[in-house]
Amino acid sequence: MKNRGVLIEDTFAEGFTMRAARIVVTATNDKWAQQAALKFTGFATSVIACKCEAAIERSLSPEETPDARPGVSILLFAMDTGSLGKRLSERIGQTVLTCPTTNCFDGLPDSTERAPAGRALRVFGDKFQISKVVGGQRYWRVPVMEGECLLQESFGIEKQAVGGGNFLILAEDADSALAAAEAAVEAIDGLPGVILPFPGGIARSGSKIGARNYQSLIASTNDAYCPTLRLTTASALPEGVNSVLEIVLDGLDRDAISQAMRLGIEAACRPGVRAITAGNYGGHLGPHQFHLRAIMAEGGSAS
Amino acid sequence: MSDTVTLSLRAPLDGGVAGLDVDGVTADRLAGLAEREIAALPVWLDARRAELGDFFSVRGERSDRVRVEGALAQVHGIAAGTTGGEMVIDGDAGRRVAAKMTGGSVEVRGSVADEAGATMGGGTLLVTGNAGDRLGAAVRGAFKGMTGGEIVIGGSAGADVAARARRGLVVVAGNAGRHAARAMIAGTLLVLGRTGAEPGHASKRGTIIAVGGIEIPITYWHACTFRPPHVRLMLTYLRRRYRMAIDDRAADGAYRRYCGDAGDHGRGEILEWAAQ
Repeated sequence: MKNRGVLIEDTFAEGFTMRAARIVVTATNDKWAQQAALKFTGFATSVIACKCEAAIERSLSPEETPDARPGVSILLFAMDTGSLGKRLSERIGQTVLTCPTTNCFDGLPDSTERAPAGRALRVFGDKFQISKVVGGQRYWRVPVMEGECLLQESFGIEKQAVGGGNFLILAEDADSALAAAEAAVEAIDGLPGVILPFPGGIARSGSKIGARNYQSLIASTNDAYCPTLRLTTASALPEGVNSVLEIVLDGLDRDAISQAMRLGIEAACRPGVRAITAGNYGGHLGPHQFHLRAIMAEGGSAS
Repeated sequence: MSDTVTLSLRAPLDGGVAGLDVDGVTADRLAGLAEREIAALPVWLDARRAELGDFFSVRGERSDRVRVEGALAQVHGIAAGTTGGEMVIDGDAGRRVAAKMTGGSVEVRGSVADEAGATMGGGTLLVTGNAGDRLGAAVRGAFKGMTGGEIVIGGSAGADVAARARRGLVVVAGNAGRHAARAMIAGTLLVLGRTGAEPGHASKRGTIIAVGGIEIPITYWHACTFRPPHVRLMLTYLRRRYRMAIDDRAADGAYRRYCGDAGDHGRGEILEWAAQ
């Protein structure tokens, strides 16, 4: 199958089940909402070393937020409920509670499983905190030097979230790979229920499980896709490919990832790109398989 | 099963009676009853036992959506003890509307007399008109007033609103009478109009949000002037949920925080809108 002259390889991306939360941060203006969100989502590219994956889902208008202020929606993913709760408490406590003018709300109100991050953080108020129930939801007013920070008591957990969606852009040169990856990120940006946790949405250091030469590593460079190793390892790169970039996606459900992959791949099929492929572990890593050709066929643009 | 059960008071009660007490006639209770069973529910005319059907015509059955209509000002305890379902009361109602309510919703398209929502534990009570004394408060002799839920009054409320309230939200779009939030234990009273004399007397905790003016008791002291984020959240919620007309400046603005009551634990607060 080719899409605008770019080969879509007959393979699939392999995803695994994760736990996810949606955090809504509001502030007096977009600048401060973004500041908090950027800090919140820092060092959250991969569960391999960051214990969680997080990114900004999209900006929110005042009409979309509980307190009618500008806001940012963040998605946070972790491997289990306990870890998700800890990451929420750590990150809200260090990046939202500390940030001028911000409040923090749950973005998954319908989820019955809850992480009581606000309840955990209320003790920062040293028993001067005050709880208020508004619309059936409990919030904590935590006194801070600026005035008060408002934290929702608990955050909904999506138990069937999906991590590990991905596709690789195989290009003739680094500039072409970057341009294609940027186009893919732009196409995906703002879609509901999906994030790209790596810097600018792009990963250059795709990994394989474990390592050939270091037993203690849980992940190491994906040598089959490193162009510099074409002659020294079992390369998976077609002739003429000199640079590869990866788009990694986490989503609240399968459909969010499928839609984002389709739009991203469509945008990445541009001059200088030879092929699109995906990373998988033969179906051993997780239950979710995103077959590239099936995804693109749904969009109707590939042939 | 009907879409709605309608209870229509056949005729206004004789002015010579103290009133008809229909405590326990609730939407959740009617949801499981046939028309004749509803008509047979016990009510009290002064101290005499009677049946609901003696005074009301009943249309519909087995529905948790109930409409009550007629000259109801002498009918007391409508929706008292509600645990679920929806009840609409069309017209002015008597005392203790939705008292002891723990769930569901009650909407009064008119005014209510004293002790509406008294000792309420959950659910929502919406009154388009005015409310009498002890709205959301403790009934006489009780230690606690409302312990949860929401009361929204489109007009004004009488004395002792939210007295001894333990939790919950009481919103008065008009004015509130004297002794508002007296001996409040916790919870929130929001008054968009003028708050009457001696508010928050003997309050242990809890919040009075005074948008339309308040005379701060001398037993409260000024802590600071700031923008309380929960007030903005609350006002935004009320706008969206109940379509209340609330001045943007009240949602965006700063409030003077007073702490008290000094005669008690002193952890209550009055947030007075600093209008400028």
